[in-house]
Parts: sequence; structure tokens; C-alpha cells
Amino acid sequence: MNDNVIDRSKDITILEVLDRVLNKGVILTGDLVISVADIDLVYVGVKLMLSSVETMEQLKSGKAINPK
Amino acid sequence: MSENKILFNTGSFDEISGEIGNLATIEDSKLKLTPDNADSGLAKLVLTLVELIRKLVEKQAMRRVDGGSLTDEEIERLGETLMKLEMKMDELKKHFNLTDRDLNINLGPLGDLM
Amino acid sequence: MEKLIYAILSQDKNAGRLTSLLSGIKGMSSASLEEVCLDDITVVTSDVNKADIVASKSTALDFARVIETLSQQYTLLPMRFGSVMESAGAIKKMVERNRAEIVQNLRNVEGRYEFGLKIFCDSEKLMAELKEKAGNTITLQAPEPNVSVFRDYVNRKLSEHRLEEMLVHYVDAIIAEITATLTALNAVQKIKKMVSPAMIIDAVFLIEASLKDELVSSIAGLQEKYPSLNLMMTGPWPPYNFVDFTVK
Repeated sequence: MNDNVIDRSKDITILEVLDRVLNKGVILTGDLVISVADIDLVYVGVKLMLSSVETMEQLKSGKAINPK
Repeated sequence: MSENKILFNTGSFDEISGEIGNLATIEDSKLKLTPDNADSGLAKLVLTLVELIRKLVEKQAMRRVDGGSLTDEEIERLGETLMKLEMKMDELKKHFNLTDRDLNINLGPLGDLM
Repeated sequence: MEKLIYAILSQDKNAGRLTSLLSGIKGMSSASLEEVCLDDITVVTSDVNKADIVASKSTALDFARVIETLSQQYTLLPMRFGSVMESAGAIKKMVERNRAEIVQNLRNVEGRYEFGLKIFCDSEKLMAELKEKAGNTITLQAPEPNVSVFRDYVNRKLSEHRLEEMLVHYVDAIIAEITATLTALNAVQKIKKMVSPAMIIDAVFLIEASLKDELVSSIAGLQEKYPSLNLMMTGPWPPYNFVDFTVK
């Protein structure tokens, strides 16, 4: 197995792990609040993956988590 | 995660990791509205929903046409309306500088809209 | 100081075994792991300063690693990354409020692992294959001469629509096979179709740990049936996809 295949398969494993730990599992809150300019505008009470959206965005920008 | 979780794979790892990675990127570009991008942020939201409805209407129309229950004249009118709708959407997309990919927002449990 | 929650477990009858396991692993950002117990439920946590949590690939992986290690010895419900509660007391109240669902979910996943199956296609090649098949039965709209621009538009859209329907039928057939296989293996499945042009199926299964080899060979069989598709199976995973409840 050359290095590229090993790296790639590690990449895939990592993506799979992140997809699970960020988007799945038991969630503490299922409410969605759509904000504009930090002002909460729309409240939607659904079992949504909001935390993963926030988490993913914050993951990209490296900011701190602020779970609701 | 040092262990390899891949039990079985026949495809090229490059393609696959690219594909899964792409989905991660698509998820990123969501409803993030800030003062700077408010215009195009809102436009993206609105156009995505309009595009969704347009596609659903188009799909339904095709099912009707395929079902054979429409007259020639009705099909003509349908064609004209759908075509104009699509042209209008293209104009709007161009105006706001949005591509089809920009409009494909993934809403979590609903999966990709398109 | 708040509590970061990693997983919910049934209490280990062997007191001290979990404690000793936890002492050997580090939590997110090297924090030490603790137990919060209420009767027969144990919650694994670590102290964390909510304001200081940094969301990064490495912290998410740290978090996942703890769950992975625990799941090798315990039946558990994995928490989503970023699950934080104010205190041990708050956690106990939460367990109390949700006890029934927690116990039910633990029962559902006991002795079982999650496996993932993603199926990729070369969408151009696949469409070409399907088009060819359709050509034989002439279901695609044939180009008509002398039609209005509107009728021509409809004809084109109709062809696209019929191709899409063929693709959907194709994928549905694969899903039917997967479903049959998994039912035979007494597994639970969740399947998403057409996730992207290339990923036509994204499935997860919850299956008895002992049936893993059967599962792999069934998937190998499926691959043989569809040589032009790429099947990728991963696992075993903790049951992330099969603990769908929101804590009250």
C-alpha cells in the first residue's frame, strides 16, 4: 500500500468520524433560532442539526463554541 | 483516530474522500447572514426556496405530461410558462451572482433540497 | 466550570472498573474524565469552561476518541460534540427526566454496532448506461420536427425527467436488495438516497456485533452484482445514528 492510499483512507476515516460526532448522537437541544446580525429573529422548534451547522462553521473559522 | 475504519472499498480513495469532503463544504455555506452579505445572503435564501418550488412544479408538470392527460394546447401553455420561469430564474441568479451550487442548501434532515 | 458530556452508559456492576478505565484516558483538551451516576445510569463527563471551548478538528476527534474507547467495553449512547451542562446536579436531573428514553435506547443498541455503507457511481457513465437501456424501449422523448419552441422545451424537460425517473428506479432496486439482506440479518437500517450526483446511497445499519462477517460478505456480493458502482463500507462505529432522541 503506498502512502497516498494510507493517507486517503485516514482522511476518509476522519471525515466519517467528524460527520458522526458533529451531526449525530444524542442532542441536548433541538431548537433552531435563525439570527441576523446577532438578533434572534426566527424560532423553529424542530429536531434539527443546528449544533452541527454552528459547530461546522465554527470549526472552519476556529471560533469558540457557544451551545444554546 | 489511528485505526482504519474502512472495511470494504472498491473505489478510488481520492474520489471518495473528495466527494465526502465536498459535502462538508456544501454544509458550510449556509444561512449565515451578516451586515456585509445581507443582500446576497437573503437573496440566496429566497432564490433557493423559489428554485425549489420551481423544480417541484416542473417535476409535477412533467408527470402530468407523461401521464397523457393533457391536451396539446395545455402542454403548449405549460411549456411557455415553465420556460419563462426558468429564464427569469436565470436572470435573477445572474443578477445576484449566484450559481446553482450556491443555491443547493442542505437543510439537515431534509437532505439536499435539489 | 461546566460539564462536557461524552456518553451515557448503563452502570457497570463491577464498581471501579469504569473508574479505572477512565483514569487511563484523557478527555478533550487533556481534561480528566469523570462519572456522574444516577442509579443505574452513568454519564461520562469532563470539566470544561464553556467560554473556552475551541471547536477544531482535533478537539472533535479527542471527543470522538473517548467515545470510541468506551464503546469497546460498554453499551453506550454517544453524545453530539459540544454537549455541555452546567453541573453534575443538572446532569442528574436530566437523566431523571429522560430515564425511560435512555433505558430504551440503551436496550436498542446493546450488543450492536453501527456500520456505514456509501455507494458511489460515475454519474455520467451511469446515465449513459441508463440511456442505452432506455433506447431499447424507446421511453425517451424522441425529437419531433416542426414543433413550437414551447413544445420543444417540454420535450427536452420530459426526456430529463424520464432519465431521472430511471435513475430513481435503479437506486430503489439497489435499496430493495440492501433491505432484503439486512432484514435477513436482523439489522436496522437508515438509508438516504441521491445525496449527491456521485453518492447515490448513504446508509447506516445497526447490527449484532457477531454478524459483522456476514454483513461484509453480503456487501461483497452486492458489489459483484453492480460492478460499475463503488461500494464503501466503514465500521464498526458506536451507534451515533441510532440514538435519535433529543434530551428534554
